[in-house]
Parts: sequence; structure tokens; C-alpha cells
Amino acid sequence: MHSTHYDACPECDLLLRAAQPNIGEKAHCPRCGFLLSRPRKQSIERTFALSIAGFISFFPANLLPMMGITLLGNANTGILMSGVIALFNEGMIAVAIVVFLASILFPLLHICLSLLISGHLYFNRPHRHLIKWMHCMHHLDEWVMLEVYMLSIIVACVKLMALAPLEFGWGLYAFIALIIITTLLSSNLDEALFWQRIDQLGKENQP
Amino acid sequence: MKAKKNALAQGFMRCHDCGYLTKTIDQHSLCPRCDSHLHARRPRSLQRTTALLFSSFFLYIPANIFPIMTVNQFGAGDPHTIIGGIIELIDGGMVPIGLLVLVASIVVPSSKLVGIGLLLLCAHFRWQINARRWTVMYRVIAFVGRWSMLDIFMISILVNLVNSGSVQIIAGPAATAFAAVVILTMLAAENFDPRLLWDNQQNL
Repeated sequence: MHSTHYDACPECDLLLRAAQPNIGEKAHCPRCGFLLSRPRKQSIERTFALSIAGFISFFPANLLPMMGITLLGNANTGILMSGVIALFNEGMIAVAIVVFLASILFPLLHICLSLLISGHLYFNRPHRHLIKWMHCMHHLDEWVMLEVYMLSIIVACVKLMALAPLEFGWGLYAFIALIIITTLLSSNLDEALFWQRIDQLGKENQP
Repeated sequence: MKAKKNALAQGFMRCHDCGYLTKTIDQHSLCPRCDSHLHARRPRSLQRTTALLFSSFFLYIPANIFPIMTVNQFGAGDPHTIIGGIIELIDGGMVPIGLLVLVASIVVPSSKLVGIGLLLLCAHFRWQINARRWTVMYRVIAFVGRWSMLDIFMISILVNLVNSGSVQIIAGPAATAFAAVVILTMLAAENFDPRLLWDNQQNL
């Protein structure tokens, strides 16, 4: 009875024979219905490509103005960071830090880590920090909240439309592109496969 | 002996981080693949979840009582609580958006508090329940938590854009409390181990 032939459901601890679904199939836990694995076509290649695209679109999304409003003759434009600074200047330091982490720093870190990991796997290069990077990315995943931010942009627009006319800048389009890319990225990233490949790379390169 | 189906009962532990299955029940061992600590169940799951749940419950009160933002128009301040902002949206004829904010900032946090509380009671008192249904409830709670950040992000956008001398939006003390509630309930859901629900079932 070798342990690699078995698998355990992470949510109900049922011991299972390891499922090997084909691409396009899903393996669910028979007892609790948890999605055990869902292999993706060319997961490493696609993750690599999407991380490059995400990294490129991150900068226009953060640096170009997203929205502008003209209130009583005063024109104001907003980017992600200016919202954080405005909160900071009002003394809401804790909220400013949370917004900064969830909408700027963690998405950037997540994209950089997946770029590094998939790049190393794509070129078959072992690296001693691969495991550490995987841990970081695994824990960051839940705290990347770009799509929530998008929804709050929509709500804020509806609230502001009553006040004054709005105009949208290139930053907003880049931001929408960034959200689409990060969503595709997290659905194409097959963590189980990544762990297997990292394990293989580590074993191949042992003296 | 159907209880033997559990991986732990058969002497296996699954790594939390990389999902590797190891044939050991030694709680001090490391995962052979990724070197993280192995635990059969999340360590001190119930205590941690209870602590986080109580802190978020007490922060939820100021989050709803105090104003989340103040609209200053020509020197006259108009403070809004979370509920006040939703009522204004619905009164203004923007019903779908009002309902969206209602779900994200009131229905989700309060049902999360109740839901995690029920999960804790269930795991602690070993209730005989339909574990599959409760696991689905856990999954829903863990998934929707992040969407409550909507209000916080919206404030950061409004505070930045509406700032022109005579018309100003200022964030209120409830924003900090509400952000803390969202983060603490997310951590509580993360620390709860749904396998505890299955461990207590005698008739699987």
C-alpha cells in the first residue's frame, strides 16, 4: 500500500484511490462533493503566458487615471493608489492599508510569484525557493480582491452619476483587462500539477 | 466498520499546503514534499475560530451603529451608516444596486457570523447532522466572505473622487470596524476545519 496511489479529500478526510481524470473532466469526492482535481490543458504554458500578460497590464491599470469627475468646476481623477492615499490622509490608516494590500500589493505579488514559478517550470529550471514561492502563492490566493474592487467601482459609479458627469480613462480598461487575466490565471493554474513538477525537478537535480 | 474510511483512521495525513498524502500519524513530522508541518486536522481549529468569531461579532456592532461615511455639502455634514446608504440608494430608484450592497454588506456578514457559529456548535456538541449539507454551507461561507469588502473599496473610491472644497466625502469610524469584521470572519472561515464535522458522524 503505497501512499501515492491514494489521496484524501481535504474537506471530509475520505481516503480515496487517487483519481486521474483526463483533461476536461473533473474528479469530485464521492462523499462530500469537493472538487478534487480538474486538470487543465497546457497548465504551465498558459499560466506562464497569462502571468506575463498580467504583469504587463498591471502597470497601466495602476498608473493611468481610471475615472474622472468634475464637481463644481473642480476636476478630479482617480487611480487605485490615490484612493489609498486619500484614506491615509483622513487618518483611516488601517482601512488604507487593507485597501492597499488587497487591491495593489497582493495582486502584484501573486502575478510575480506565478510568473516566477511557471517560468522555472516551463524552462525546467530547479530553484531552491520554488517550494517557498508555492506556499506564498497558495496563501495569497484568497486575499487578491480585484474582482470585488471592480464591483465596487460599478456601485461607486452609480452613486456618483447622481452628483456629476463621469468620464472613464484608459486605466479603467487596463484594469478590466487585468481582472480578466487574473481570473483566467487562477482557473488555469493547476496546483497539484505544479507541486508534482516541482517535486520531479527537485528529484532529477539531486546529486 | 465504515468509520475506517477516514484517512486519519488508516494512518494517513494530508499536507495542508501541497496536498501530499503521507503514511504517518506523528503530529510533529514534516511533509516530505514541501517541508511544512503536517497536521491531521487544523491545529486548535475550534478555539481559533471561536476567538475570531467573537471578536468579529463585537466589532460588527460599532460597524453598524457608527457612520461609515459623511457627506459634507457646503459645510453641512450628513453622516451615513451602512443601512442609511442602502436606504438612500433604494429611495433614489437604484433598486438593483441597493440590493447588491444590501447583500454584500449586511446579509453576507450577518449570515456568516450565524453560519460559523452553527458550524462551531455542531463540531463541538457532535450533533448528528447531514454532514454533506453542512460542508456545502461551509464552502458557501468561505466563498462569499471576500465580497463584503465591496463597501470598503467603494469608500476609498468615493473619498478620493468627491473632494472638491465644498463637497466632500469623509470616511467614518465604522469603516475600520467593518473592514476588521470582514477580515476576521474570513480568517475564522479559513481556520475552521470541515473535517471535524465528518469525524463526529457515527452512521456514515
